[in-house]
Amino acid sequence: MLTIEGLKKSYAGNDILKGISIDVNKGDVISIIGPSGSGKTTLLRTMTTLEEADGGHITFSGIDKDFEKLTGKEVNTIRRNVGFVFQNYNLFNNKTALQNITEGLIVARKVKKSEAEKIALKALERVGLTDRKNHYPSQLSGGQQQRVGIARAIALNPEVIFFDEPTSALDPELVGEVLKVMQDLASSGTTMVVVTHQMSFARDVSNRVIFMADGHIVEQGAPKAIFEKPSEQRTKKFLTDILANV
Amino acid sequence: MENIKLIINFLGQLLPAINITLIVSVSSIILGSLLGLLLAAARLSESVVLRVLASVYVSVVRATPAIIMIFVVYYGMPMLFNDWFHTNIDGWNRMYFVIIALTVLFSAPVSEIMRSAYESIAKGQMEAGLMVGMTPFQTLYRIILPQAFVVALPNFANSVINLLKEGALTFTIGVVDMVAKAQMIVANNSGGYAWQTYCALALIYWVISLAIDKGVSQVEKSYQAKRKTIAV
Amino acid sequence: MSLNTDFMVKVAQTAIQGVPVTLQIVLVALVISFPIGILFALIRIYRVKVLQRVVQFYVSLVRGTPIIAQILIVYSALPSLLNMIIGRAAFAINPIYYAYIVFTLNAIATLTEVFRSALQTVDKGQMEAGLMVGMQPRQTFWRIILPQALISALPNIANTTLYLIKNSSLAFIMSVKDITAIAKTEAAFNYNFLEAYLVVWVYYLIICYAAEVVFYLLERYFSKYRRPIKKTSGFNWLPFRIKQPKLERKQS
Ligand SMILES: Nc1ncnc2c1ncn2[C@@H]1O[C@H](COP(=O)(O)OP(=O)(O)OP(=O)(O)O)[C@@H](O)[C@H]1O
Ligand SMILES: [Mg+2]
Repeated sequence: MLTIEGLKKSYAGNDILKGISIDVNKGDVISIIGPSGSGKTTLLRTMTTLEEADGGHITFSGIDKDFEKLTGKEVNTIRRNVGFVFQNYNLFNNKTALQNITEGLIVARKVKKSEAEKIALKALERVGLTDRKNHYPSQLSGGQQQRVGIARAIALNPEVIFFDEPTSALDPELVGEVLKVMQDLASSGTTMVVVTHQMSFARDVSNRVIFMADGHIVEQGAPKAIFEKPSEQRTKKFLTDILANV
Repeated sequence: MENIKLIINFLGQLLPAINITLIVSVSSIILGSLLGLLLAAARLSESVVLRVLASVYVSVVRATPAIIMIFVVYYGMPMLFNDWFHTNIDGWNRMYFVIIALTVLFSAPVSEIMRSAYESIAKGQMEAGLMVGMTPFQTLYRIILPQAFVVALPNFANSVINLLKEGALTFTIGVVDMVAKAQMIVANNSGGYAWQTYCALALIYWVISLAIDKGVSQVEKSYQAKRKTIAV
Repeated sequence: MSLNTDFMVKVAQTAIQGVPVTLQIVLVALVISFPIGILFALIRIYRVKVLQRVVQFYVSLVRGTPIIAQILIVYSALPSLLNMIIGRAAFAINPIYYAYIVFTLNAIATLTEVFRSALQTVDKGQMEAGLMVGMQPRQTFWRIILPQALISALPNIANTTLYLIKNSSLAFIMSVKDITAIAKTEAAFNYNFLEAYLVVWVYYLIICYAAEVVFYLLERYFSKYRRPIKKTSGFNWLPFRIKQPKLERKQS
């Protein structure tokens, strides 16, 4: 459904992504793990056109092209068919929880307002925040903001939703509520690509784990295989380090 | 081309009057800063009365147009002195009235700048200073003031530029400063070359403002450099 | 003190006719300079070639020169300029139009800086979130970024307004019949200048405080949108291109 080949990105001469290829199938829940600075965020941002790629090919919703050759229209198509959940939520501060969700529907999708509100309420219900629909982001806790962020993404019914460390800005006691929502999404068949440091999520919820280091995909496979018998030394080291710290 | 020559010519005629502007500005900056310091101290003091008085003063001055301040001081002070001290100050150099008005105008924003700079630094630093065995005065003098100075500098410069511009109203009570001079030149030319004359006038003020900005960023830079060397 | 209170009452009654004139000047200047200020701020933020230099120059020039000099220049240059275009009719123009022009030109410069710093306080994540729900950069700017920037600019807009109100007291130099002009004329009859200016002073205090109350209420009304907790990153959203803007040495 979404295929990326040979994705490259550098900042000021530093190669951050050195040719990444990923295949996302419908219903996949992919966890991307790896040390800090390995390029996970950059990967999500270039895949979703938030950042310009320096090279690589994308096949997605009728587009089959090199990144550099994407037209403005195609960039729009990509953006419309993906959802993105940000590490620091990035809710629209001047909009209520409900408006945060209807905004994209009404402005970008030209959905009627009443219809959009119906969709938004359903999305809020899925993340358990119906009673907070008229709250502004500043009146919500971090966990609630992130759940609205997720509701905003699912309301648009995208083909795939990207999550960039959705829980890492949260206080520990709020992580659970967000992970729970993500787990529900996964079991309802939503296609998800999740950058995470939550190894429990990677191991128990996803159907594929990608381990990244230094702008490369070092190895990928079923969670069981990666966590129990990693074939690469780097993966082994990363996992023992991170699991020792938990 | 012709115009540029004219402007340069007018510049030459206006510049001698810059004295007045400089004397008025510098005196008001010094006096206004002192008054501002007192006001800031009042606003930080324990006494409720002082705090209220100071903040009323600041808010009234903040809402007063410079020209009105100058007029009120110019027409009001002689009357006041007459009634209270039975002194006649009509003969005072008119510049004094402008200096007094500008001092009042300048003291208000400056007191705010000083207060907020002090508050932004004071909290932890005073405790830290006392902890390493300095007296409160030493801490204030050696630790807090130098830092507060850096914090306050850009805003202070901004207020100085404002003062300089408000000082351009000196002419309204009959002091022959650059503005008055410019108007005389225009009158002498029977209204001719007016905009060139006033452009020359504006140019002088602009250069002074730019120089103030430049000076401030220079000082800021040298302070930053100092900080870095300490940090290493 | 021997203030002529009867005269003060009389001045208060006549000078009040100048209040609408003052308010008119302030409002016209604000309304016109508002969109232009936003436009200029955007030119500065996106470093539009050539134009950004022009805007920078303009702002520095206006900020660095006294309003009285600006008044004198406009008031001396414009009538003869207009004379060349529309002939003698130029000298019949109501001087309030010159006041509009001077104070608008002045407010544009201040507001440009106000909006520039306000736009830069909006986190770039807001733009990215807009793009990721499928909105165009332009739509996100109007619906998400600008409203937030305006709210955070409110205190500085209030300041600008206050300056405008105070500066408008110089409109009398262009023979506009504002509060100051009326009081001045009254005072000139029998040299009651102090009384006249005290009345004018009170009027300006009232107008300024009224403006402050309006802005206070606006700020309070909009405070719920504010996020006190979140720190914003140094430079910001980049609506119309994907590339990051180059970091420029701060200059003011
Ligand atoms: N806008 C940018 N300009 C320059 N360098 C950047 C930029 N964004 C990211 N980088 C660099 O790219 C590298 C990868 O960053 P990235 O954020 O993708 O890592 P990450 O894997 O997401 O790390 P983390 O787990 O800490 O979030 C880092 O070395 C970072 O410094
Ligand atoms: Mg990251």
